Amino acid sequence: MSTPLNKQPFDLGKTAYLGLNLLLLAFLLAPIAIVLVFALNPTPYISFPPVGVTLRWFVKFFETGDFMRSLWLSLWIAACVLVLSVVIGGACALALARGHLPGRAFLTAFFMSPLMLPAILTGLALFQSYLLSGIGRPVWGLIMAHTLIAVPYVLRTTLAVLHNFDRRIEEAASVLGASPVRVFFEVTLPLIQPGVFAGGVFAFIVSFDQFPVSLFLVVPKGETLPVVLFNYMKFDLDGAIAAASMVSILLALAVVLVLERLIGLKAYVKL
Amino acid sequence: MDQSVGLRHDGSRMPAVVARRPSPIAWLIAPALLLFVLFFVLPFAVMVAMSFFSSNPISNPNAVLTTRHYQRFIEDNAGIFHDALWETLRIGLVTTAVSLLIGYPLAHWMARMQSRLGHALALMAVITPLLTGIVVRTFAWMTILQDKGVINTTLISWGLIDKPLPLMYNEFGTVVALVHIYVPFMVLTLIGVIGRIDQRLEQAARSLGAGRLRAFAEVTLPLSLPGILAGSLLVFALSISAYVTPSLMGGTNVLTLPMLIAQQVGTSFNPGFAGALGVILLTVSLVIVVAYNRILARVAGEQGLA
Repeated sequence: MSTPLNKQPFDLGKTAYLGLNLLLLAFLLAPIAIVLVFALNPTPYISFPPVGVTLRWFVKFFETGDFMRSLWLSLWIAACVLVLSVVIGGACALALARGHLPGRAFLTAFFMSPLMLPAILTGLALFQSYLLSGIGRPVWGLIMAHTLIAVPYVLRTTLAVLHNFDRRIEEAASVLGASPVRVFFEVTLPLIQPGVFAGGVFAFIVSFDQFPVSLFLVVPKGETLPVVLFNYMKFDLDGAIAAASMVSILLALAVVLVLERLIGLKAYVKL
Repeated sequence: MDQSVGLRHDGSRMPAVVARRPSPIAWLIAPALLLFVLFFVLPFAVMVAMSFFSSNPISNPNAVLTTRHYQRFIEDNAGIFHDALWETLRIGLVTTAVSLLIGYPLAHWMARMQSRLGHALALMAVITPLLTGIVVRTFAWMTILQDKGVINTTLISWGLIDKPLPLMYNEFGTVVALVHIYVPFMVLTLIGVIGRIDQRLEQAARSLGAGRLRAFAEVTLPLSLPGILAGSLLVFALSISAYVTPSLMGGTNVLTLPMLIAQQVGTSFNPGFAGALGVILLTVSLVIVVAYNRILARVAGEQGLA
């Protein structure tokens, strides 16, 4: 308990501290919000302040063949990556947490390493390997590349859930006579489900927004949405890009809400 | 804990050995291992190998082993490679320093926040930008910093400046956007570490007469040093490998190692030299990754988690 005399200057410090942090949060969010302004502003080029409200950029985005083709390709790839990374990453997390594997810490760091190594190098290395082996640049090659980047996310969320839950529940089931297989399907799997799903949602958005890994692996007329947007932005900066960006931002918002409901965002605090 | 479970399943004979033997669940690692060997380890090995070949050894039978790609980088006759390496590292360092300055107060505030709702909302504010694509976030900064962008038009309309400030197509704009893109990683790493520091330590220091700032500077700050290091290494590793942001925000005035690599693949079509540049960037990153893992393992170890 502080004395009333001490209270006044501390409150001033606290207010400044709060103000600073709200300012920092604004720095994080303002650029995202500003995109909406440009998506609705009718001027042909990006200009500020906005002069009105229009939906023509959204119409242009949804009527442009290149945008639509790449949007569907990105969604399709992201869906495949979600399924693959959930199966592969979920299984891997179980093996790491329950398999009594030797060198577990090393293996975990190894499976997490695609997150730390430059993604553009993962793209380059895969590009050169596909080139050398004569595979070319098929869509499945891109899907595998994205899966590689997405597995660590599934691994992280699943391991977090496995780490937190009470193992005595599994032990109790097995003491009561359940076979290991039954324990797995009726106890372990339902318990880790939120973690695996959260990882899958993360995998989807990571693939959908993926640029550096895709850069060398896409073929002309077969680019994903971020690559198409990037190429477009090098020459033209109009509202269609802002409209496309809104699609990505809304998706991110939806994912954040889903993640919060599934396992809580706190799971992402410990990296 | 693990050992007691092993015992119960397998009886009490040779419990130590039983507990250490991998269980059948260990086989679930196989698909991930296969994926990582085929699409991660092998490709990186190929990249390293390619950097020592004069040309594609499969399509060109005359390809020979050579170190000329590395010599080309070291000799740097065009005078751009060393500059690119230096510029990459400089952008990485400045981005890391600014991210720390911005990220630390935020992380400290969030780690100590009492209100659950406030914490959840602040976390959403940090994670939403993180989940928005890099291309989209860079676009947002282009609309803010370009000559006809938000800042310049506002300042001109207020009569504060006559000509637009050069906020973009330079290192400044690149760093601003990179900080925005990577500061969430700093915040998320720091929240974890600061949150684990026992608040009573700071309270004890204050009850012994230390002021708010001194208690922070002498208790909380030193204890959060591992988090500062880990977060900084992470942001540095991410920002030196950035491609989208430097190439859009830097325009022709900025050339980083990842941009150079993309040029070698896209326009020059020199996979060997691109591979050599990749190995150089990879070496820098690997050193950082190893340091990062060591630090995080130590933090976890101190908390009895490892």
